[in-house]
Amino acid sequence: MAREQRIQLTVNGKSYEKTVPVRLSLADFIREHLHLTGTHLGCEHGVCGACTILVNGRSARSCLMLAVQADGADIVTIEGLRAEDGTRHPMQEAFHENFGLQCGYCTPGMLITTIELLQDNPNPDEQEIRETLSGNLCRCTGYQSIVNAVLAAARKAQSVENETGRAQKTGSRGKP
Amino acid sequence: MSDARFVNLRIVGTSVLPDEAIPLVEGEGRFVNDIRLPGMYHVAFLRSQHAHARLRSVDTNRAQELPGVVKVLTGKELLGKVEPFRSMPNRFSGGESVQHWLAVDKVRFCGEAICAVVAEDRATAEDAAELIEVDYEPLPAVTDPRLGERDDAPLVHDTCPNNYLIKREYQRGNVDEAFGSAHLVVKRKFRIGRKQALCLEPRGCVAAYRDSTFVLTMWMSHQLPYVVRHYVAKHLRLPENDVRVVAADTGGGFGQKASIYPEEFVCAYLALGLRRPVKWVEDRLENMVASTHARDQYIEIEIAADRDGRILALSSDVWVDVGAYSTYLWSAGMEPLQTAGLMPGPYKVAAMRYRTRGVATNKTPVGPYRAVGRPSASASLELLLDEVARRLKLDPAEMRRRNLIPIESMPYRNANNLVHDNVNYLPCLKLSTAKIDYERLRAEQRELSAGGKLRGIGVACFAELTGLGTTTAVGPGTLLQPGRDAVTLRLETTGVLTIAAALPSQGQRIMMAMRQVAVDELGIGLSDTNCLTNDTAMAPYGFGTFASRTAVFGSGAVIQAAKELRRRILALGAFLLKVSADDLTIVNSVIQTVDRSKSMPLREMAEKSYFSAKDIPQELNPGFEVTSFYDPKLGSFAAGAHIAVVDVDPQTGDVKIIRYVASEDVGTMINPAVVEGQIIGGIAQGIGEALLEELVYDENGQPRTVTLADYLIPTALEIPRIELHHANTPSAALGGFKGCGEGSTTGAVAAVACAVADALNQRGGDIHEFPATPERVLKGLGVLT
Repeated sequence: MAREQRIQLTVNGKSYEKTVPVRLSLADFIREHLHLTGTHLGCEHGVCGACTILVNGRSARSCLMLAVQADGADIVTIEGLRAEDGTRHPMQEAFHENFGLQCGYCTPGMLITTIELLQDNPNPDEQEIRETLSGNLCRCTGYQSIVNAVLAAARKAQSVENETGRAQKTGSRGKP
Repeated sequence: MSDARFVNLRIVGTSVLPDEAIPLVEGEGRFVNDIRLPGMYHVAFLRSQHAHARLRSVDTNRAQELPGVVKVLTGKELLGKVEPFRSMPNRFSGGESVQHWLAVDKVRFCGEAICAVVAEDRATAEDAAELIEVDYEPLPAVTDPRLGERDDAPLVHDTCPNNYLIKREYQRGNVDEAFGSAHLVVKRKFRIGRKQALCLEPRGCVAAYRDSTFVLTMWMSHQLPYVVRHYVAKHLRLPENDVRVVAADTGGGFGQKASIYPEEFVCAYLALGLRRPVKWVEDRLENMVASTHARDQYIEIEIAADRDGRILALSSDVWVDVGAYSTYLWSAGMEPLQTAGLMPGPYKVAAMRYRTRGVATNKTPVGPYRAVGRPSASASLELLLDEVARRLKLDPAEMRRRNLIPIESMPYRNANNLVHDNVNYLPCLKLSTAKIDYERLRAEQRELSAGGKLRGIGVACFAELTGLGTTTAVGPGTLLQPGRDAVTLRLETTGVLTIAAALPSQGQRIMMAMRQVAVDELGIGLSDTNCLTNDTAMAPYGFGTFASRTAVFGSGAVIQAAKELRRRILALGAFLLKVSADDLTIVNSVIQTVDRSKSMPLREMAEKSYFSAKDIPQELNPGFEVTSFYDPKLGSFAAGAHIAVVDVDPQTGDVKIIRYVASEDVGTMINPAVVEGQIIGGIAQGIGEALLEELVYDENGQPRTVTLADYLIPTALEIPRIELHHANTPSAALGGFKGCGEGSTTGAVAAVACAVADALNQRGGDIHEFPATPERVLKGLGVLT
């Protein structure tokens, strides 16, 4: 088997074509080859969730994927969350405003996971949030401030939606 | 000069959003593994597969030949070139033990480093490590401290008879008489398993040769940059000022990153020898065996009580499995001495005695971890208090009420010789029982119990000695009594303030805390302040972040330095504004007369002082940089009362926490949201300790829990929403601050342990071993044997 392979992929809206060792993990590719070090490695065996990224719109553990498996994929990492003008993503803002991080090591995975959650379920209750977070380990916060951040982000998104008069999404369960 | 200040609003006590968190939410933190230097090599370690073995030979030839490999370093090469780690002298030492950075003749635990491989990239270094051939001669392993102290046990270190790394006996007051005349004597056993801090970011370093004027620069994931600098210089025989240590963004510390380990020092040696930067980042499998563990204790505790449930005396026997080496630099005494010594917690105890030992075993060394010693001391005593309460038919909360040290009795010297002062033990308990509606809770429990449901309520009160000054050793029995830390305040030419200290943060938002204190003291605007806390090249000397000390020391030093800086600012301001300094104040970065008729922005004064010095009398322009060392002398007790409510499933042994109320006294709060984050995070770690986390070894000393799938830390599902309340009273330290980083872990272990035992007791069961895994819970119910 070839020891190296050429891949083409999009990361945070930018297209890359690179030759990579076939044994290189996607996490190492993102960190070492693209220098996007915001994605963190906490266990390299798929448990802690710190390395979670979006692959084709769904969350994935970049430590459990090989770079060659991402050939053709569209990837978003924490560095891709800010708007083009530099504005932080509402979830980033919510984590900051709710003290939803201490050491910040789990934060990239937490942000990606919770952004996906609100895409699927714009108005989750606390239990739903905790279930979603249960695949991401945080050792500092005891999770409470993270849960608070997600609740706040959901509330804010709802109120923005209400203000702009757009129809409520069908996923909403009409909680306050 | 008048002491009167006319600051509009104090910012201390406000939950200011810490902008130091912004790079972290934007993915632009700089952790060790994010640092990349030109020409940097990568290091991987070959680690022992055996718990105890003689090394017959170590053959590195095949590894050396692998393309991309630069060097393979063995322990033999280091002999005579560097100083190995000799156990820190401790008054209660059982003998000197020596730890080579890389094993020389013997390995003493699975995971001990034998060789370091340097290669062009990490993958190649790991490939090469697998090619090293080690011929081991296995030796019998010590894996149980109670067997290890016997005369016939194999020795981990020939220099430490009975494998004692630490041994102490203590008595104060008339213990025998108290036990002889007591209305009730109860004895209990308590066991808590081995655990580890489990920082989400493992350890790591980048060591660079000749960076700027420094011979050696180390970027490390560490809590104590100056301590690393001191010891790396000493052990590599370098002048200390040739070394610069920077604590990079650090992904959790919790004490695990407060020790000195061999791997980073090996990297320093390699960088100097190769004249190239090297990087080593611990992977999770390494972290599970090569970074310090914690706890692992067996306790037998006995209480003498009168008929009203008042404690007359305590007697305890403590065995701590401290692992293979005396953790550098704290010694092996941390857990054994603090567990036994802090046994009385917040309760009045007139007489106590203990025997405690730290027994060497063939396991990973035990080092400092959040709330060292206190969780097991507290949990074993609280479980015992519950048993006394049961026997005397007293309510557990009432039992505690009768024994807590009341504030009217303070200062109060307890039998362990610690003085309690300015601390709200009883108000914390009162607040927690009120907030949880304790009477109703007990009534519900009785109803559920009648219906066969196992609900348990655990009440735990704790004392946490924080911000230890020069009168108290931070490493008991050792000479480590740093007790001071320094801050430099520098008014820059633009009128902004730089606060520099060697007090790195692992998420505690230390920088914002010190900025808030400086704002109040100086009247400077918050946005005109900045803080540097992680770099020995920029900070005055300081010991670092551990033992719930940083907010107390950093803030105290800021207050002291600010007093002098303020005096200098007002003196120059008075000259420039042609008024008396007594008439001046500083509000939002503007020096102004109290009647606001004259004013000058700090910026203008600072610029003049630097750039127009010729117009200013020299004595009024001494420079606007002040360094102050702060020593609070004594420590300050923080406190809390936690109540945990659990439901136990008698079929599965599963424990679910359904409610958790905590009331804490952490002194004057600087940033309440940050404080609450510390407390709730500490509770989560305590819940993990009480219910989930255990590092398991087999009888041969092989670790059985080396991934996060085996070693379970709490997820968001195991941690309930914590209801947190405050019963704060200021300490005697400057600013009234206390530490808040550790106490809650102690309270959580004890409260949850008591709650589980209380639930089992509804059906006549009990539990003595923690964590309370389903298996142990079912055993406690008699369902499993």
